[in-house]
Amino acid sequence: MAKSSYRLLLCLAALSGIAPAALAQQDTAQYQLRTVEVFGKPAEVFASGSRVSILDSSFVQMHASGSLVDALQARTPLFLKTNGPSGISTPTFRGTSATHTAVLWNGLNIDMPALGLSDFSLLPLTSLGSISVQHGAAGATYGSGAIGGAVSLSSPVYDKPGFGATVQQEIGSFGRYFSSAGGHYVGQKVSVGMSGYRLSAANDFPYKDYGSFGAPTRLQEEAQVAQHGFTQDVTWQLSEKSRLALHGWYTYANREVPPALGAANVSTRQVDKNLRLMADFGHDSNWGETTVKAAWFSDYLRYTDYSNNSLTDINTYQLQAEQTYTYARRWSLRGGVNLQHFVADVQGYGGTVTEDRASAFLLFRYDPTRRLDLSLNVRQAFVKGYNPTPAPTLGANWLFLQQNNHRLYLKGNVSGSYRVPTLNERFWQPGGNPDIKPEQGWNYESGLCHTFTHGSWHIETEASAYRLLLDNWVQWMPLESGYWSPRNLQKVRAQGLELSTRASKKMDELSVAATAAYTYTTSEQVEAYEGPEELNLQLAHVPLHKAQLGADAAFRAWSFLGNLTYNGLRYTNNSNTSNLPAYTLLSLALSRRIDIGQYQIIASLRSDNATNANYYVLENMPMPPRSFAASLRFVIP
Amino acid sequence: MKKITRFRSFVLSAAFTFGALAFTACDDDSKGPVGEYARDGVLISNEGAMTKSNASVSFYNHGSRSVENESFKKVNAPLVLGDVLQHLSVHGDRAFLVMNNSGKVTVADANTLKAQAEITGMHAPRYFVALNNEKGYVTEWLGYDPTTYIYGTGRVAVVDLKTYTVTKTIPVGVQPEQLVISGGKLFVANSGGNTVSVINTATDAVETSILVNDGPNSLALDRNNVLWVSSSGLKSYNSDYSVDEENSKPGTLAKINTGSNAVISTLAFTQKAPSPSKLTLNGNRDKLYFLFNNRVYVQDVNASALPAAPLIDRGAYVPYGFYGLGVEPSTGMVYAGKAPNFSSNGWVVRYNNQSGAPVDSFQVGVAPNGFVFR
Repeated sequence: MAKSSYRLLLCLAALSGIAPAALAQQDTAQYQLRTVEVFGKPAEVFASGSRVSILDSSFVQMHASGSLVDALQARTPLFLKTNGPSGISTPTFRGTSATHTAVLWNGLNIDMPALGLSDFSLLPLTSLGSISVQHGAAGATYGSGAIGGAVSLSSPVYDKPGFGATVQQEIGSFGRYFSSAGGHYVGQKVSVGMSGYRLSAANDFPYKDYGSFGAPTRLQEEAQVAQHGFTQDVTWQLSEKSRLALHGWYTYANREVPPALGAANVSTRQVDKNLRLMADFGHDSNWGETTVKAAWFSDYLRYTDYSNNSLTDINTYQLQAEQTYTYARRWSLRGGVNLQHFVADVQGYGGTVTEDRASAFLLFRYDPTRRLDLSLNVRQAFVKGYNPTPAPTLGANWLFLQQNNHRLYLKGNVSGSYRVPTLNERFWQPGGNPDIKPEQGWNYESGLCHTFTHGSWHIETEASAYRLLLDNWVQWMPLESGYWSPRNLQKVRAQGLELSTRASKKMDELSVAATAAYTYTTSEQVEAYEGPEELNLQLAHVPLHKAQLGADAAFRAWSFLGNLTYNGLRYTNNSNTSNLPAYTLLSLALSRRIDIGQYQIIASLRSDNATNANYYVLENMPMPPRSFAASLRFVIP
Repeated sequence: MKKITRFRSFVLSAAFTFGALAFTACDDDSKGPVGEYARDGVLISNEGAMTKSNASVSFYNHGSRSVENESFKKVNAPLVLGDVLQHLSVHGDRAFLVMNNSGKVTVADANTLKAQAEITGMHAPRYFVALNNEKGYVTEWLGYDPTTYIYGTGRVAVVDLKTYTVTKTIPVGVQPEQLVISGGKLFVANSGGNTVSVINTATDAVETSILVNDGPNSLALDRNNVLWVSSSGLKSYNSDYSVDEENSKPGTLAKINTGSNAVISTLAFTQKAPSPSKLTLNGNRDKLYFLFNNRVYVQDVNASALPAAPLIDRGAYVPYGFYGLGVEPSTGMVYAGKAPNFSSNGWVVRYNNQSGAPVDSFQVGVAPNGFVFR
């Protein structure tokens, strides 16, 4: 079972383009193998014909003190809208808005239920095991919100028997201090791991205040950040066929939110506390693999300024049960249900609000030949009063050319998606719209994937073209009463290209790799039901072009990582009359491993925005200039 | 809005008389064409979206029949105009841009839009009026209580227009809005209460306050020096936050004798839920335009009753369909600023003042709220 899963995964990796990471990084591949052994087939197995990428571990490790924002911005087609240096960051993926990228943790959706989105700056890399990104709609696999794509996070997996620990301290420009510590023990039956981190950043960088007459240079004084958190993971092999895993993840953030240039400083503060607990039970039998996940998420958000004091406190209870039956290497069938119960204590709702949601899914993967695999998935969500339309997926991978060291795959995928309205959209008073309809999307894509392996060389190239339609797009608009209310305003069409390539070579003492990627995204309103008709214009804050270049090299004890990210011009309104210029960011990192007996010290230096570019991600929000960070990590392997 | 018509004389004279002064005054300013916004056009203030600092100024050119957006930015970039342009007012050769959520008034050359100075240290400023070249007044709401959302007393800042400093603040009523100067008196509509404050412009002290219907939201001074006040009336709300027609008090237009401070008469609307607002006069100041129930009405300033039928009736409700209202002094044409929402650009629609029919329209910045006719 486990073996076949592993082969399936490798096969999938090769087929769907996650190989660049998986094959180039030996540890990642192994790591995936363990994941498969312990937790069964990942959802990606049922994603034939769609594009899935896994973030490479060398990047994640080098940027361990950062958040998901840094990793996704540098390594994926996602564009993160970062509201200034202290962070609140939301994604736009394949031309969609922040509510259209689902974020899952160990398979369950962790988006903030009030807003239906995740602030990626609250998701620290240090607390995560692996990060995979599903490009394009996958409503059947990932449920509500997986319209532009999904980001799937997993808890760390400790696989090496015995005891291990890591301690890291980083000091950076503009008053940045990051500390983390983690330890784990892997025994015969039980493995235990825990980690914690603490970040404080003054972010007091200088900027030109173009919001004041004469544009004086000022120090940013409203962007302080204090964050901390911990993870705890216990896996218990109950018997040969059953295991139980407990995952805990807590994050705390207290942030100042800087005003835009020219806007009054109203002392905006945001405090977020997110506690996530999950029990994950798995059992193998003749009927296949049974998995039951029960989770409790507590999301607390407090937003204050001189004239606001807004409190959001939501408890989410989730239960997901699934059964996977695999017949040799021919086919695999997974059926399951997901139940969600929300208890929302939100000032704006005028009292406690509860809501129940359910969904049932059936995922089918079929490999008629060794060179072809197919996916046929469907999910139906149930919500009282407004059931979304079913979200199916039909996809295929076909290895149609295999010659010498070359392999060429053809991929295709049609996928439905949906988004159940958020609690704010339904219950906010005044304005919440109980009659709002769910959003409904379709994603069509096709791609080519080429791999070349020769000796120690490996080159992997993938090209995808997609078209994404999203109907009943929800947006808040002013009403006659003067209040704002969410309405199903428009139909949006996004189309684009995603190109990426990675070449790597591994020798005895030297390994080098280079990546290049380009993303072209058009996203336009094609129909307006209410509100302004701005047809065939690029949606605000969606860059038409995004390009990335990356290089990493390791020589003996030295490692180097360089990353260049280009984000093209973004319009700041849907009328396309004002825009923010393109910008390019360079980050460089160098590290050296020092072995002391069986222990290691890894010393590293990093520079972000190394070219000192003056840039804006959002209008009138100055971003930090060149910064440096130095870090020491002590590892007991 | 009413300041705009009130300033039509300044505007005209600015174009011809002060124009020359502006040329000499700006000699040392070699950048940009001088006087591009001096005449034959309309300056449009676009409020922008709150906290985004994307307020802007547009200029409609009668000659070329075209609109230029982001005019302030064009002249002053990388300088950012600021957050929420509540009011654009021209006095002599200076334009005063009240930046509500920037807490300041930006001063620019009215003919070139070149920024000259800023008057800082204000808290939620709303409207500006100049007494002369030395002194001006700005209403300020100040903040509200974050737990009760209730505003306290607002104030009027007295501004030295030579040094661009606030020399004095005068406490007035709650949420002071528009202000009008007549006969050595400054009248301030306290929109969060039911009074119009009267301030002596010689002493800058409150003389008295005139009791009017609840929610006085705009002012206009007609050719007879009668001060018109539009009041919302006390509203009560349904559970869906719409205004309750049954239990609300109707809005009114009140006429005030500016000499005696006495209310001459009050005209009440029959429909209770909608509120009258945006009092605007034509060039001769003998026709009064206002907004009621998303329709534009017009009446003679000597009329003793409210008009029965609207001049402009857009029928179905359009959100913020008349966000700004202006009447061109020379042609009488009615300008409406349309703000569909605060993330898209707004539109200016021009209407015939006889038939009320739309003439043309053009796209401007976010949330156009006022017009200055040049």
